[in-house]
Parts: sequence; C-alpha cells; structure tokens
Amino acid sequence: MRLILTTILCSSIFLLAGAATTLAEGDYPEDIYYMKPVIGVVFSHQLHVEDNGMDCDSCHDGIFEMEARLAENEESFTMAGLADGEFCGACHDGDTAYDANTRCTTCHVGVIGYSRAHGLVNEEGPAHH
Amino acid sequence: MKNLKNLDKMTNEGVDNCSVEERRHFLKMGLTVTGVFAGGTILSAVSSVNKVYASTSGFVEKYPYKPHYSMIMHIENCIDCEKCKSACAETNGVPSYGFRTNILERQVAGALDQQREFIPVLCNHCNLAQCTRVCPTKATYKDPNNGIVMMNIEKCIGCLSCQLGCPYNARYFNEEKWAVDKCTFCWESRLSKGAKTTGCSEACPAGVRIFGDLSNPSDRVYKEVHQMTKTVWVLRPQAGTKPNVFYTRG
Repeated sequence: MRLILTTILCSSIFLLAGAATTLAEGDYPEDIYYMKPVIGVVFSHQLHVEDNGMDCDSCHDGIFEMEARLAENEESFTMAGLADGEFCGACHDGDTAYDANTRCTTCHVGVIGYSRAHGLVNEEGPAHH
Repeated sequence: MKNLKNLDKMTNEGVDNCSVEERRHFLKMGLTVTGVFAGGTILSAVSSVNKVYASTSGFVEKYPYKPHYSMIMHIENCIDCEKCKSACAETNGVPSYGFRTNILERQVAGALDQQREFIPVLCNHCNLAQCTRVCPTKATYKDPNNGIVMMNIEKCIGCLSCQLGCPYNARYFNEEKWAVDKCTFCWESRLSKGAKTTGCSEACPAGVRIFGDLSNPSDRVYKEVHQMTKTVWVLRPQAGTKPNVFYTRG
C-alpha cells in the first residue's frame, strides 16, 4: 500500500516537475502539523516552496518521505536529531536557514496553534471553565 | 557639553521612542536607588527586580515557610506541547473540563522573528493569597508549614468566592468532588510522598518549569530568583498578593 502511494505521489510530482520548475499554488498539501514527539509543530509547504523558492528535491530526496508525518516514527525526529542534521536540521543549522535551536515558537505552535488551525477553538483562545 | 548648554532650549522627547530595554534599565536603576533610600543595602546580592516585583517588603530574604515551595518559568522555552497539562491531569485526576495549570498564548507585536510566546500559568501560592481571605468557610487555606494554598473539599460549599478573589484564574469547580479544585504543587499526589518536584515540572521536555525551595540558597530556584543579570518578574504584581511563581527568559 505504501509503495503504491509513494509511486502515485512520485509520478504526480514528476508530471508537475515537467510542467514547471517550481510548484504552483495549491499543488502541495496544506500545512502539516506534527504530533510527535510533541504536539503542534507546523510545516508550511507554502512558505518553503512559494516564498523561499525551494523545489521538491530540496527535501524529498532522502530527508523527508513524500507521505506526510512519516518522520514522526523515526527516533531521530527530535531536537537532538535536528541538531545532528537530521530532518529539518538538514537546512535549519544556522547556516542555510536559521538554527533549529532558535525561534522555538516559529514552528512550535503548540496545542493552541493546532486547535486554532483546525477550528477547535474560537479566536479568543482555548475555552476556560 | 554642547547639549548641556542648550538644555533650557531643548524639548522633551517623550517616551514614545524609548525602547523597552531602555525603559527597563531605567526602571531598574531607579528602583535600586529607591531601595537604598528605603534602607536597602547597596551591597546586597538580592536584585532590585526581585525586591520590587516579587517580594516588595517583609519577605525579601526571610521567607515565611520552610520549605518555601516556588516555581520559576523559563518561558522562552515553552512550546505549548501541554505535556505538563497531561501529566497534571493524570497525577491529580483533573477532568477534561477542568485545569490545574494552563498555557496562555501571547502575540509579541513588533518582534523581528519569533512573534509568539507561551505563558504557563498555575496557582501562584501567594504569600498574601486573596482566595483564602475571601473563602467564607476556610475551605481553602495556606498550609502553615510549606505555604501551599490547599483545599479542604469537605468544607467547600461551592460559592466560588475564591475564583473571584484569585487574580490568576487558577481555580475551577470539580463536579465530581462537588468542590473547587486547584493546583497544590502536587502535594497530595507527590510531595507528601517524598517526591522532590511536581508532575508538570517533571513532564516538561523543554526545562520550562523549575520547581524548588525559595528559602534554600543552594536551590536552583533560589539562585535564579536572586541574581542581577536576568530580569525576573511575576504576573499581575499590582494585585499585591506576593506570588511564588516567577518568570524569566534565557
């Protein structure tokens, strides 16, 4: 099943890559919210692809699988792992992009950020009793 | 010197263009000097910030409880993963509709990069707790030994006066207990059984919640509150309740 999914995803990406060097708006998934090892770490394709002009191969060539959130299953998907250059840390090393060890809440939007993005809270924040 | 000569002709610049840092330094300076005039010791190792924001008088170096349980929050590390909340709920049987601790979010306007800040909150176990003052049945009280604000649910009549009295929104009504429930620094579940820290502090993966004894000079909390280099503050100092939960960055 995973193989089929990957194949489909890969072929669609190849088709897209043939049409344009970078993806157009809407051709990539919505923001991804990682839930492990901590809840609410956001990754924005829009920010990385549209705003920063990166292409698929920048990450999907050995760093991240095409399927979203598979990284959560890896033991090195931690802040220590990132510091060793794994996953986000491949670029977020303080050289290519800002160090993963800084600006914590830029990516860590937390339970509050996750809830807001999924319409689980009103604009005033989480419910209080 | 040139400026000095023209002093009379200069106009007041106001404070609109004064950065937060400058204001803070200015305030610190002023408060230190005030401390000296008020009989404070200029050679004291206790920072003026602590004197002013945390414990204005009476409790500066002499703490009323032993141990004097306290917490200092390194809020720049908080990522709102809420492992603290989960650990608290599990440790103390907090229902899903209630909370003993919470995380607040603040948007920092004008910040260059990181524009979001999370602020963990819980009962501040105030030295001058208003909740205990307004409770008509003394169901909530300060433990005379360690200063923890406790609940005697047998006495609680559910009037919620304590909720109104608390400046920190640290209480909720527990329908199962039919009484108000609140943070007790895990006294029943952990500290009284020999544990050295609270459930939330132990669960925090980012080292935000540092729990300890404010009256013990070798304790980390004591050291981090009593120093000159980093600003330490409390929430809502104007409430005048002398809270025991401190906040810092870095």
